[in-house]
Amino acid sequence: MLRYIGWRLAQISVTFFLFLTVVFLLFQAMPGDYTKQFIMNPRIPPEARRALQERLGLTGSVWDQYLHYVRNVFTGNLGISFQYYPREVWDVIKERLPRTAVLFLVADLLAFGVGYPLGKYIAWKRGKLSDYAVTVTGVLFYTIFTPLLALILLFVFSNVLGWFRSGGFLTPSVWLRPPVDPQVVFLLLAATIGGILALGGGIFFLTKRIGHPRPRNWARRSLILLLLACAALGWYRSGIGTYAWDIVWHMFLPVLAVTLISFGGTMLLMRDSMLEVIREDYITTAKAKGLPDKVVRDKHAARTALLPTITNFTIGLGFIVSGGIVTETMFSWKGMGLTYLEAVLQQDFPLAMGCLIFTGILVLLLHLVVDVLYAFLDPRISY
Amino acid sequence: MIPRRNVGIEPLWKIRARLWARSLRKNWGLFWESRIGPLGLAIILFFVLLMVAHPILMATVWDPRVYDPVVGFDRAMVGRHPAPPSWAHPLGTDPIGRDILSQLMWSTRSEFALGVTSALITVVIGTFIGAVCAYFGGVVDTFFMRLADLVMLFPFIALLMVLRSIVTLDLWRLALVMGVLSGFGGITIILKAQALTVKVKPYIEAAKVAGGSAFHIIRRHIVPNIMPLSFLYMMFNVTGAVFTEAVLSYFGLLDIRMSWGIMIHTAESAGYLGAFGQYWWLWAPPGAAITLLCFAFYLVGRGLDTVVNPRLRKR
Amino acid sequence: MPLLDVRNLTMHYVTKMGDVHAVDDVSFMIEAGEAIGLVGESGCGKTSIALTLLRLLPDNARFLGGQVLFEGKDLTHIPEEEMRKIRWRGISMIFQAAMNSLNPVYRVGDQIIEAIQNHLPISYREAKRRVSELFELVGLPPEVIDRYPHEYSGGMKQRAVIAMALACDPKLVIADEPTTALDVIVQDHILRRIDEVRKKLNMAMMYISHDIAVIAEVSQRLGVMYAGCLVEFGDTVTIFKRPAHPYTVALMSAFPSIKGEKRKLQGLPGEPPDLLQPPLGCRFHPRCAYATAICAQRAPRYEEIEPGHLVACWNPRSGRA
Ligand SMILES: Nc1ncnc2c1ncn2[C@@H]1O[C@H](COP(=O)(O)OP(=O)(O)OP(=O)(O)O)[C@@H](O)[C@H]1O
Ligand code: SF4
Ligand SMILES: [Mg+2]
Repeated sequence: MLRYIGWRLAQISVTFFLFLTVVFLLFQAMPGDYTKQFIMNPRIPPEARRALQERLGLTGSVWDQYLHYVRNVFTGNLGISFQYYPREVWDVIKERLPRTAVLFLVADLLAFGVGYPLGKYIAWKRGKLSDYAVTVTGVLFYTIFTPLLALILLFVFSNVLGWFRSGGFLTPSVWLRPPVDPQVVFLLLAATIGGILALGGGIFFLTKRIGHPRPRNWARRSLILLLLACAALGWYRSGIGTYAWDIVWHMFLPVLAVTLISFGGTMLLMRDSMLEVIREDYITTAKAKGLPDKVVRDKHAARTALLPTITNFTIGLGFIVSGGIVTETMFSWKGMGLTYLEAVLQQDFPLAMGCLIFTGILVLLLHLVVDVLYAFLDPRISY
Repeated sequence: MIPRRNVGIEPLWKIRARLWARSLRKNWGLFWESRIGPLGLAIILFFVLLMVAHPILMATVWDPRVYDPVVGFDRAMVGRHPAPPSWAHPLGTDPIGRDILSQLMWSTRSEFALGVTSALITVVIGTFIGAVCAYFGGVVDTFFMRLADLVMLFPFIALLMVLRSIVTLDLWRLALVMGVLSGFGGITIILKAQALTVKVKPYIEAAKVAGGSAFHIIRRHIVPNIMPLSFLYMMFNVTGAVFTEAVLSYFGLLDIRMSWGIMIHTAESAGYLGAFGQYWWLWAPPGAAITLLCFAFYLVGRGLDTVVNPRLRKR
Repeated sequence: MPLLDVRNLTMHYVTKMGDVHAVDDVSFMIEAGEAIGLVGESGCGKTSIALTLLRLLPDNARFLGGQVLFEGKDLTHIPEEEMRKIRWRGISMIFQAAMNSLNPVYRVGDQIIEAIQNHLPISYREAKRRVSELFELVGLPPEVIDRYPHEYSGGMKQRAVIAMALACDPKLVIADEPTTALDVIVQDHILRRIDEVRKKLNMAMMYISHDIAVIAEVSQRLGVMYAGCLVEFGDTVTIFKRPAHPYTVALMSAFPSIKGEKRKLQGLPGEPPDLLQPPLGCRFHPRCAYATAICAQRAPRYEEIEPGHLVACWNPRSGRA
């Protein structure tokens, strides 16, 4: 298993280098170097441009520039954003990256939570009306024009239901005299989510040793409930709960949108992969053992069908990221997507480049996570 | 001398045509049974109808000065634009007084042109590379597979956003760029896998022994066998291309005069999206059109999937 | 009362080209603790019969009639929930595709334990002990219990599947080509092992094979199938000595007394019939050397020609062919 993960890590590193190179070439291909915006901006003195050029190594040959660039990427030295002058690009990204990461993490987990059971359900009911209805709905959400979806959600939730008044990251009136920085609250939130996931995974693997399924499931369920209760109580007692809640509130619509556009993909993958697994002989054997229909479906068919679903999931990642850019824009959720779009429109190329690189890193990390997960779930990978 | 003739033997092309017709009928049956495929096809036909109807309407009942999708303007309603749907303008007018229905119908043509061109390029490239990778393996294979990984890594829309700072993207350039880029993407992996299953068939070996060149074998034996799958992925690629164009147009990043995405962009930049419930005809028709067309091609793709992939069939 | 009494079983598969007449009016009995064999060429409907008994047919199968009386209860009409209890506890099966009968993502031992715990109220630990006993019985080392299927060799999988079929002390085990994937020596060994176990545990057994020589030794009675029909049924010894149906006769001449020396079915012109359009009358008549006019018109009745020896033929042979 470790060897498998190591091998994938090596492959992913190669891909990352290629990616860096392509990004570099892309920005090289632009007319002039990407500090040219500094001339036009009256707020920035000309010496600053020269200094930045020096710092980013934009004066030497292309090859020198490339080496410089790679070194800069690894030291987080990405230059200065011209929109947010004189903030460092890394500083802006540091603020925005967690927002996107959390948005995607939560939405993807939800999308999986919806898509996986639905896919397995409709595959089991193949050819029935519910199969067609759910498939068509799934395809509809998968192919819906994202801005349209956002508009509809805004219309329903703000105009009709009146739950949300504005997009954005927080409600300014709530944060008039905040005891803590919103970013800190957000990072704490992110840490909570990460912690719950990590501990949840830990619980899952520790209880794997309990041989008998009944006490095992019982232990799992109660431990996870305990974990969630602890987290909720912690936030309630912390004194900054209202602030956290405001942020969570603002996350609701973007998370819903990303969930809706991405659950269809998982669901359809799951359905197709289930349909293939159902034909396997071990499914007939499982039925012959007299196992209840649900056990055959969930334990035997779905568990095995999950594997190809996970592998194929990464193929759709680029699509989800694209959807994320649109979603963030529509709901003014200041994550990497919105930042990137603004940077491109304002020709703030150092920031755009930084965003692109870190989006790439995020996607690659996700690939790696998926690979590790796969290695855990498929006993045939033992290397 | 008696002329030599194959009396009673059908010419080869006739036999071929008959076989072809038979397999077409069978495949059409399977496609029909998928139920979602025909639904998609019906929607596509509806859009084709819209596309065909536009020039006819322009030539007969619609006055070009009023109904031209780009430069038209209804003087009779000055000051009331954007006007809600009425008999004269079934879907209303946009902020600068142009007829929405006319824009919608007119844009259908460019959406089809873009989608089909881009998907065609993708599929031609993908099929060729897939076949070559499967046939030769080794370095060629590794190279293209890593390249595909890389292309899949790039969020398309993000890439095109930068690219647009380098070259102006009009409809054809966009189609070309998207087509080429996705041609090197995930599709090569899928088609290569399919080509590998063909490569081990005995007739490939036979063709090799018979002295067929690599190019000949790829062209005559491998490519025809992965064509059905390519055709299927073409449908998915049309969806992708139409979607991407719409998003980029919506952000105002393309050099296109009129498209569904631009229609929403126009509404947004004139500030009419904020109160969207009020001016729904500005965004709902083009938004629905984009969604429906993407949806339709995707459904057709899935319908074809049940034809190509027997394991997905009901029995 | 026999353990299993199958009466007039008829089942078709519905396909695009038409109905596949896979099982047509098949009747036979199995007594408790007895081993019978079902023989017939590939595609004649042996597996289909087994799947009909267990009600595990694919979606496109249509059960058209007949009774399956297991301990007096008609399995074709009981509710699914009750049927579930009979599967594996009453009737278990060693599937033809033993290699693929194990789910690749679960440990082999757990898959057997799952079956045991599904039917018997015993603890995981006890179930596991039972699995190691079963493993010993079929000749597998106990330390492979916790391995995954991909870590097993083909022969080990086959043994594991056999162990799994025996796990709940079923009254009847259907063994569908239990040894085809193995080489001849191992084949023989495993069959004998199964037979020993069967005698020890006093189970009934239904062997299915296309190779009469393989199962004749271990079955007390034999059924011969042709094109969806059971054409002859009787004592193994009787059938070997006095095969009555012309098809059985042809089978016998293909497998003379010396085992392993197989020849092609001799004296059988033509192809096995297309089950989409089986021949009218006796399904064997286009290939039968003894066919008479009536054979092409009416299907022969399945009748006893001597006590315990049933044949479906208008002109049954007698004596050695
Ligand atoms: N799901 C199905 N749909 C349609 N026809 C089927 C199906 N399953 C089996 N058949 C057909 O039914 C007939 C009997 O099949 P069955 O599997 O019972 O044969 P068998 O005697 O077990 O053969 P073998 O020795 O090869 O296993 C065959 O002609 C087969 O083609
Ligand atoms: S019934 Fe007639 S055709 Fe059929 S086996 Fe007997 S003799 Fe041959
Ligand atoms: Mg069989």
